Amino acid sequence: MSDGFRLGLFYTIVRPEEKAILGAAESRGLAVVRIDDAEVTFGLEAPSVRADVVLNRSVSHTRSLYATRCFAHYGIPTVNAPDVVEVAGDKILASLRLAERGVPTPRTEIALSPEAALKAVERIGYPAVLKPAVGSWGRLMAKVRSPEEAEQIVEHKTALGAPIHSVFYVQEFVPKPDRDLRVFVVGDRAIAAMARRSADWRTNAARGASTEPLPLSGELEGLALRAAAAMGGGVLAVDLMEGPNGLVVHEVNPTPEFKALHAATGVDIAGAIVEYTAGVGRR
Amino acid sequence: MTECPECAASVESTDKILGEVFACPDCGTELEVLATEPFAVQPAPKEAEDWGE
Repeated sequence: MSDGFRLGLFYTIVRPEEKAILGAAESRGLAVVRIDDAEVTFGLEAPSVRADVVLNRSVSHTRSLYATRCFAHYGIPTVNAPDVVEVAGDKILASLRLAERGVPTPRTEIALSPEAALKAVERIGYPAVLKPAVGSWGRLMAKVRSPEEAEQIVEHKTALGAPIHSVFYVQEFVPKPDRDLRVFVVGDRAIAAMARRSADWRTNAARGASTEPLPLSGELEGLALRAAAAMGGGVLAVDLMEGPNGLVVHEVNPTPEFKALHAATGVDIAGAIVEYTAGVGRR
Repeated sequence: MTECPECAASVESTDKILGEVFACPDCGTELEVLATEPFAVQPAPKEAEDWGE
């Protein structure tokens, strides 16, 4: 039975993850208000949304950024919080935060012009990796093996036109086994972990990497919790690589997918997210 | 049941919920459930540059 408490689900599309979240809320007797990110509008005064807490599942970083601020304006807490969305959703801000908190992360240079980007690649050395500051699933990522490739890639990115494409995030290529690791953190707990294996250097599950469950060991769990805490905490998927000098955190995802992780581990991730979100709303 | 707007194949409504995105079993086009009663689908929104996790 619902007690009048309403959990808002802010979403772009209903994927298996959102369907699992809706099912988990229903099985716990929680009323859910669906908020379509393409339809909602926000006024400055009267709240246009009635919910006690909002779970952000929008796949758009831009929409997430502004919507979580709007919900906060109405006094509605969000999972994740606006600051967490802002920092974790932007690779540049996330890398700065990880470094500030002493979380091991790959060597990174940020450049604000094409000319500076070429210098940054030289400083990092070859091969280097160029990533867009925003977005994931391996899109627009490039492995740079030579100065000629660097020039071509920087020129192509600049030609895309938008000012954000003239901001460059250059990272060392970490020589690692053909896998990377993901730890799913909910609140102050790491609840599941997996390895993603791929012949492609980009081991995103969205790019077809195969997955296997991982035990949550001391170092892996501890580092993931530190990385999540550095972002401000909440529901976060921490991606790590096994580098020559140990584990490094290369990404912390604020709106994580978990279909592959659930399939690999059997952990009820949707249930954990719903219970945590409801807890934030009842504080 | 309805038709895929891309290939006209029959698409089943079983267990589908409003807004759900799924692949057409025939042509693989990503479809989004527009309504459940009566069942209606449309091509799913195209992935934008800032989409991600």
